[in-house]
Amino acid sequence: MRRLTLFILFIFGIQSLQAGGGWPQPKGHGFFKLSQWWIIADQHFTDTGLIDPNVTNGIFNTSLYAEYGFTDRLTGILNFPFYSRAYFNNTVSATTGEIITPGDAINSLGDTDIGLKYGLLTKGPYVLSATVLFGIPLGENAGGSQGTLQTGDGEFNQLFQLDLGRGFTIGKVNAFANIAAGFNNRTNDFSDELRFSAEFGATFWNNKITAIARITGIESLNNGVLPSEAAAGVTIFANNSEFWSFTPEIAYNINEQWGVSATIGTAFSGRLIYANPSYSFGVFFKL
Amino acid sequence: MRPILLLMLLAALVQSCIGDDIIQDTVTEELRITSTIDTLAVNDTYQFEGRYTNNIGQTQALPVFWSTTDASILSIDDNGLATGIATGAATVYAEVVTPEQLTLRDSVLVAVGTETVTTISERTGVIRTTSSYVLEGDFIVTQEGDELIIEVADNYRASASLPGLYLYLTNNPNTTNNAFEVGKVDVFNGGHTYRINGINISEYDYLLYYCKPFSVKVGDGQLSE
Repeated sequence: MRRLTLFILFIFGIQSLQAGGGWPQPKGHGFFKLSQWWIIADQHFTDTGLIDPNVTNGIFNTSLYAEYGFTDRLTGILNFPFYSRAYFNNTVSATTGEIITPGDAINSLGDTDIGLKYGLLTKGPYVLSATVLFGIPLGENAGGSQGTLQTGDGEFNQLFQLDLGRGFTIGKVNAFANIAAGFNNRTNDFSDELRFSAEFGATFWNNKITAIARITGIESLNNGVLPSEAAAGVTIFANNSEFWSFTPEIAYNINEQWGVSATIGTAFSGRLIYANPSYSFGVFFKL
Repeated sequence: MRPILLLMLLAALVQSCIGDDIIQDTVTEELRITSTIDTLAVNDTYQFEGRYTNNIGQTQALPVFWSTTDASILSIDDNGLATGIATGAATVYAEVVTPEQLTLRDSVLVAVGTETVTTISERTGVIRTTSSYVLEGDFIVTQEGDELIIEVADNYRASASLPGLYLYLTNNPNTTNNAFEVGKVDVFNGGHTYRINGINISEYDYLLYYCKPFSVKVGDGQLSE
C-alpha cells in the first residue's frame, strides 16, 4: 500500500540494519547482514496526530545490507531488499460473513539504497562522518488490482547525513554514542525531510551481547503536494509524514565474525504514518 | 546459521498471508414508504412505493401489503395504487414480513382534496466526521427529473491530508457494500455540487465519506426523512 511503505522501510529498516554509529569501515573490512523486516499495521497516525484504524496492511522485506571499507575513510553502503511483499487484508461483513473487499498482495524487489560514507574525523575520541545515500526506486509504487500496494515509492531521493560518534568504556563495558542529522531531498512532488537520530550502544558479557537504544525522528518540510492532490495510486501517506520512534536493538555475537540481531521499532508520535511496531531479525557477518 | 535462516523464512511466510478484517456492518432492517404525495385529488390515483432494506442496508424486493385507515376516503389495492374517493384524510400503511418473520411497518398521512399535491423533493443533513480527520458541513439533496443533486454548503471542510477520499450514497453508513459511488472527493473547503443521473431521492439515506486505499470510514451524513 503506498508511499508509507518506503518511508517505513527506510526509517525502521535502515536504522536497524546498519553496523552502528557513524564509524566508517577500515579498508578491506566490512559488515554484511541478511535480515527480515516487517510491519503489520491496523492503525495509523492521522494528520492530527491521533490514531485511527485502517484495514490491516503488511509489508515484509528480506534484505541484504552491506558496508565495505574501500579505504580507511571511505565506506560503500548498500541496502538491497531483494524480496519485498506488501498486502492488505480482506474486509469481511460481520453480519453475513461475505467478503466486502477482497485482500490483495504484491511481491517484488524493494526500493534500494546505495551510497558512500566518508570519515571526516577518524582519529581521536570523536568520529565525524558524512554519508550520501541514493534511493533507487526498484520497488513497485502502484501495484495490486487497485493500484494501492507499494514496495517502493517511485521516486529517486538523496539523503545527506552527518554522524558524530564517540566510543568510551563504562567500567569493563565498551560503549558508544552517536548523533546524526540529515536532509532527504525527494523528487516527484514529495516533501523533503529533516532526519535526526541519537543512539547509545554497549557491548558486554564477554563481548557477546550488544544492546543499542535508538531514537529516530523525521520532520517534513511540507513542500510537496498534499496526499489529496497527488496522482491516484501513489498517494498514500508518504508525503508530509512525520514521526519520532524508539528502536531498541539487541545483537548476540556468536563469534568474532558471525552474529544475530533483533530490533523492534515503535513510533511514539507521528502524523500520516502507521502506528504499529515494526520488527526485524537478521544474521550478520563482519569481514 | 541454517536454522536461523529457516526461522526467518518461516516467520515471513506465516505472517505475510492475507487475513480477514471483520467489519461491524449490521444495521436495523427498515421499511419506508418512499412516496412524496401530500394531497390526492378525488378520483385521481397515485402509485405508492415501499422500500425494504435488510440488516446490511441492502435493498431487497419483498411483497408489500398495503392498507388504509378509511377506504371510504382513500382506497388502495394490493400493488399500492391509491384512489381518492372523498374529501378527508386517511393513513396509508405498508407492511412487509422479513425472511426472519419480523413484521415491519411504515405509514404516511394523506389528504384527499380537490387537486393532487406532491411534496417538494428535498432532504437535508449534516456531514460529520467519524474519525480524527476534519470533515464537517451541511448539505441539501434535491431531485430534478432523473437527476439527483447534492449541494454541499459553504461551511464544508475536509482534511486535504486524506488520500483517496470518496463519497458514496448508502443505506448502511458502516460500509461501502451495496453503496453507490458518487466519486472521488476533490473539494476540501467550501460549497460544491454533485449531480447524479438515475438515482431517486428516496433511494439512499446516508452520505458516506470513505478512504478507499485504507478501507476505512471517515465520516457520514444522514439524510432527513
